[in-house]
This record gives sequence, structure tokens and C-alpha cells, in this order.
Amino acid sequence: MIQPFTPEPIRFVAEDGTPVQPLPERFTPDLLRELHTLMLRAREFDRKLITLLRQGRTTFYAQSSGMEATQVGLARSIRVGHDWVWPYYRDHTLGLAMGVPMAELLSQCLGTNSDSSRGRQMPHHFAAQAQNFVSISSSIASQVPPAAGNAMAQKYLGVDELTVCTFGDGATSEGDWHAGLNMAGAAKAPAMFVCENNQWAISTSIREQTASETIHIKAKAYGMPGYYVDGNDLVAVMEVCGYVADQIRAGHGPALVECLTYRVGSHSNADADAEKHYRTREEVEEWLGRDPITRVEKLLEHLGHPVSAEERAALIASTHREVDEQVLKAEATGQPDWRIMFEDVYADLPGHLRDQEAFLRAEQTGQAGQGGQA
Amino acid sequence: MTATQERTPTQGGAPDAETGTRTINLIQAVTETIAEEMERDSRVVLFGEDVGARGGVFMATAGLQERFGPRRVFDTPLSEASIVGAAVGMAVRGLRPIAEIQFADYMGPGFDQIISQAAKIRYRSGGQFTAPMVIRTPSGGGVKGGHHHSQSPESYYTHTPGLKVVMPSTPYDAKGLLRSAVRGEDPVIFFEPKRLYRAAKGEVPAHDYVVRFGEAAVRREGTDLSLIGYGGVMPDLEKAADALAAEGVSVEVIDLRSLVPWDKDRVLSSVEKTGRAVLVSEAPRISNFMGEVAYVIQEQVFDSLTAPVGQVAGFDTPYPYVQDKVYLPGPNRIVAACVRALNY
Ligand SMILES: Cc1ncc(C[n+]2csc(CCOP(=O)(O)OP(=O)(O)O)c2C)c(N)n1
Repeated sequence: MIQPFTPEPIRFVAEDGTPVQPLPERFTPDLLRELHTLMLRAREFDRKLITLLRQGRTTFYAQSSGMEATQVGLARSIRVGHDWVWPYYRDHTLGLAMGVPMAELLSQCLGTNSDSSRGRQMPHHFAAQAQNFVSISSSIASQVPPAAGNAMAQKYLGVDELTVCTFGDGATSEGDWHAGLNMAGAAKAPAMFVCENNQWAISTSIREQTASETIHIKAKAYGMPGYYVDGNDLVAVMEVCGYVADQIRAGHGPALVECLTYRVGSHSNADADAEKHYRTREEVEEWLGRDPITRVEKLLEHLGHPVSAEERAALIASTHREVDEQVLKAEATGQPDWRIMFEDVYADLPGHLRDQEAFLRAEQTGQAGQGGQA
Repeated sequence: MTATQERTPTQGGAPDAETGTRTINLIQAVTETIAEEMERDSRVVLFGEDVGARGGVFMATAGLQERFGPRRVFDTPLSEASIVGAAVGMAVRGLRPIAEIQFADYMGPGFDQIISQAAKIRYRSGGQFTAPMVIRTPSGGGVKGGHHHSQSPESYYTHTPGLKVVMPSTPYDAKGLLRSAVRGEDPVIFFEPKRLYRAAKGEVPAHDYVVRFGEAAVRREGTDLSLIGYGGVMPDLEKAADALAAEGVSVEVIDLRSLVPWDKDRVLSSVEKTGRAVLVSEAPRISNFMGEVAYVIQEQVFDSLTAPVGQVAGFDTPYPYVQDKVYLPGPNRIVAACVRALNY
């Protein structure tokens, strides 16, 4: 039994790697190593993507460095391909941990023909049908009411699925956020709302964002439990999310989980100078000291199963190799041509779009006819 | 409305010793005009997402919080409904809010506040309450932003009585129109074509001037065809006109500058003179504001027309990412539309 509305974030492992409460049995060294691998690979993915940005091979990227425990821990409470996920744009670590192929992620970031979204969305906005990982929208909090509806449908259909909806702290100010939680609460729908509270919405700190002491207490207003978790403690995130998911599956209605974490990098490449403008180096250093990957490494050391420097280096190297390979493969598929503009606008092509497509075909093949851009 | 000669320091362009004019870009024009208006009128306040310490994601408000303090320049919670709705409330209570919406694409969550409150409070209350306020927002494509960072939603707002809708394409107009917007008595949606922020450079005079809404600018005079646009597409109209001039075609280029109200007289007299019109905007074509302009042309100067009114618009698809250059009406597409009108 895990208590909602705790005054302090729930924590299992201290920053120095020692458990502060008994480690649940399932956290064997093998499992911890497996999760550590996921976290480390996600971090290196971030690094590589920033290199790709610098090389001009992609145009946008939102890092999740510092938030790996939250996303990997959450991923492990999801029954992949069974439950449904309405993510937000910083969730590639969640995606990777749910088994979305790296090739898919990279193809989307590069907008190549291998991108299942056909180069239509800006980078880092992927979708993965096999994982029920619904297409990411840039518009903050716009996924929240649909997630409520997804959960209402699950209840209506009588399936034992769960809907997971993630967002940042900033998103909790949007009307859509409140509308979605209220709806899910009223409908007692099986939805788990997860706030990845990384404490900054671009340059706006959580203190400027809301006068509310915490995010999770807002759950009270919508008739659902709110859980407060140390989002840099992998064990805590997995335990709490796992417990909450079970509760929801057992028919107890929706819940809100607040994972307190930190984005150590910039908001995106459009904001590469965070420290210069709005936050202090000291704050970043302090949170670098609470690194979620280091914490798992220290825990493993504490348990007598340390990750050796060689192992770590090998993991990093293999991730870099894999990214490089997948990038070349994706790039080799080329970029989608102008036709993709007209597909998937509607289920079938209405007359006016047929005309516009014909116009563009003529233009692109240098045979502009007499007709206008009808 | 008192004019002031007060100058404010700016990043751009040293003034010409004799005329006092300087060359700046469009985003500098926005920044310094906000500063000047805040200097002039203590009721002017500026707020939105990241406009404070960060200076806005495009840096349009850089340095303003330092200069005017966090009481007058402040970051808000991430909620466009709150930003627009609060602006309405502040305006009703006597302030002159300038609200920034980070991207025009994100006016969506504030849409109800814009169309139900800002646009209608004067009418609803029989003029007892009014909302003089400005919503500034970067709009349009060409920056590889995909659909949520590239849309041109101006037609939604031109369709809403009670709002004024403006889009500059030069630093001169940005200054003059923004001054009109801040000093006016109505809610104004002020679209800033983001791909011209740094690309559009031009002279601005040292003195205080306004550009009144509803006055189009004739960018060049011509006798064979009227090429009419606004905002981000204007440089492409100029390029198209150059290309046609090289073929001996005399094109009149008109920049509408404001859509509500729009300069019917200028447009109609131009079309009466040239007999041909091609209308350009990058917004999707269905219910595009230019459809209204085309309608009025055919209704009022039908006898002068020697060809159907041509229109170049965005396609009726969501704005794409990879193919964004193909989506936008470039000079070639504009020239082709002109040639069709000329050969009709
Ligand atoms: C409706 C809307 N308004 C504004 C933006 C611009 N924007 C993109 S990310 C962001 C900050 C989001 O912060 P948060 O929800 O805390 O998530 P984080 O990026 O910190 O993970 C803003 C304001 C947007 N994408 N959508």
C-alpha cells in the first residue's frame, strides 16, 4: 500500500545509493542492470542527437537528460502494446524504454521516408502504433482530454487496459489539463496522469507557474489520488507507478503521479543558453549531483554488483554505433516528396485536394498547365 | 493621442546624421516600439510565456524586463486562455496590455477568450466596457517548424467581428502599426511574420509616426497587373514583380498591411487601372481572407477586369515539415499565376 498526498516525495534509494526503505524483491541486480542500460542508452541518444543537430541533419531536439529514471520507471509500469500512452514531446526515453525501435525514432527526427509519420511533423514528434504510443503533439496539454477519452473508451469497452498520459509541469496550467483531469475523474476512467515535473517550462520556473505548493495535490480537486515521487529515484518511480497502475486496473479510477525531476540541459536547441538567461549554474550543478543514472550505479555498487568502467564504456560505444548505423540507414531511404502533403489529410482525397495535387504535380514536373491552383 | 519625440536606445543601426533614420530589422522594430510605448504610457504592460528574463523565444522582448521591471514585463503561467483572458480583464480595468502568444499556432487554447471576450465586450455591453489590447504573435512558415510552428491562422480572426487584424512586412510598418495597435481603442491581433523577423530590414524615421489601419502600401507602381499580398509573402511578391519586369510586364505591388480593416479603395483603384489582380497569401485556401478581397474586386470593378482574379495560397493540407518550401507560395508560383492572368 503506497500512500497518496505525502508531504515529501516518495523515495526508496538515497542519493548515495543506499536504500532508505527495504528494496522490493523484484529489484534484483539483473533487473537494475537492465534498467541502467536503458537509462544510459537514452542519455547517449540525447548526446548523439545534439551532434546531429550541430551537423544540420535534424532541426529540433528536446533532451530528456536528467529525467531518465522518471521515463524508464514509468515505462516499466506499462504493459506495452496493451495499455495506451498519450505522451508529450520530451518522451523519447519513455518510447525507447517501451521498445519503440531506435530506427523509428531517428527516422522521425530526420524526416526520412522510413519515418512512419511521413516527414510531416517536426523532429522529435513520433508515433508508434505497435506500442499504442499515440502521436506527439507540440501543443502543450492538448493530449490530456483525448487521454481521458481514451480511458473512457476502455471503460466503455470493458477492456482491462490502462491509459497513461504524460506532460511537463508547465502543462498543468493549461485549461486542457484541468478539463482532461476533471473529465477522467468524473467518469472514473482508467487513466494514469503523470507529471514529469522538471521544474522549468522553458524559462518559467515552477514557482512562477503556480502558487500551488506541488502539482500532485491538484488531484484532490478532481476526486483522484495524487502521488508525489522522487523522479530521480528509479526504484521509487517504478514502485509508485506500478502500484498506481494496478490500483487503476483494479477499477479504482484515475490518479495523478508527480515525478519531481530536473531537465539538466536546455529546453530545446532553440534555447541553448538557459544558464545565461534564466537559471543559475549552481542550480544545475546541484541537480547534476542528483543524477538518476549515477544513483542506480551507486545502488548496484552498494548491492555488490558494480558496473565496471569497461562495461559502461562498451555500452556507450555500442549506442553511438547503433545511432550512427540507424542514421545512415534512415538517410538512405531519402526524403518524402511533395505527395505526402495530400495523403492522410482525410480518409480519401476530396475534389479540391485532388485539384491542388494535380496543380502541384504539374508545377513540380515543369508542366504547369492552364489551370490555377484550384 | 499625443505624439512624442522621445527616442529609445536600440541595438540596431546608427541614425543618419541628417534625417535621423536608421536601418533596423523587423524584430528590432517590434522590440523598440514596445519599449517606446511603455515609456510613453505607464498603463502599457507586457506579458506572456517566456517574455521576461528569457526575452521571448524569438528575443522580441529582450531586455524589456530589465528595463521596465517585473511589474510591467512578466512571464505568465503556460496558458493562452489565461493570457488572453487576463489581458481582457486588465484592459477593461484601464491598463493597455500587450500580450504575447508564443506562436500563432498556440492561440488555440486562448481562442474562446479572443472571440467570446476580447472581440465582443464592447458590443455586448453597449460600449460600457471595452478591451483595448494587443495580442502579438509570430506566425507563418518557412522556418522548418512543422504544422504547430508554421501556421497562418489570420483568417479565423478576420472572421470575428470586433477584432482588428494586422500583419506588417517591413520594420517601418511594424513600428507604425504597432503604435496604432497600442494606442487604439480596440483589441488587435498583431501577427508578426516570423521568417521576416531578421530577414526584413529597412529604414525607420526617428520621429514618432503611426501607420493607420486600413491603409495599404503601394510597394511599386505598375500598369499591367496588381499583385496583392501581406506579411511573410511580400518579399516573394517583389521577386515575382522583378522577374516580370525583366519580361517587360509592369506590376503594381500592394501590401495590405491590415486585413481588418482593409484598404478597399486602394485595391479597387489599382485593379481598375491594371485590369488584373493576383492575390497572394500563405494561409490555406478555403476561407482564406483573400477570398473576400477577390469577391469585392469582382463585385465592384467587374467591368475593369480583363482576366479572372488569380489567387495563390497555401494548400488545404496541414502545414508539412519536410516539404515546407513546396507548401509556401514562392516567386515562381506567383509568376505563374500572373502569367495566367496576363495570357487570359
Ligand atoms: C499551447 C502551447 N503553448 C506554448 C507552447 C510553446 N512551448 C513549447 S514547450 C513549452 C514549455 C513546456 O513546459 P513543460 O510543460 O513544463 O514541459 P517541459 O518542456 O519542461 O518538459 C512552451 C511554452 C506550446 N508548445 N503549446
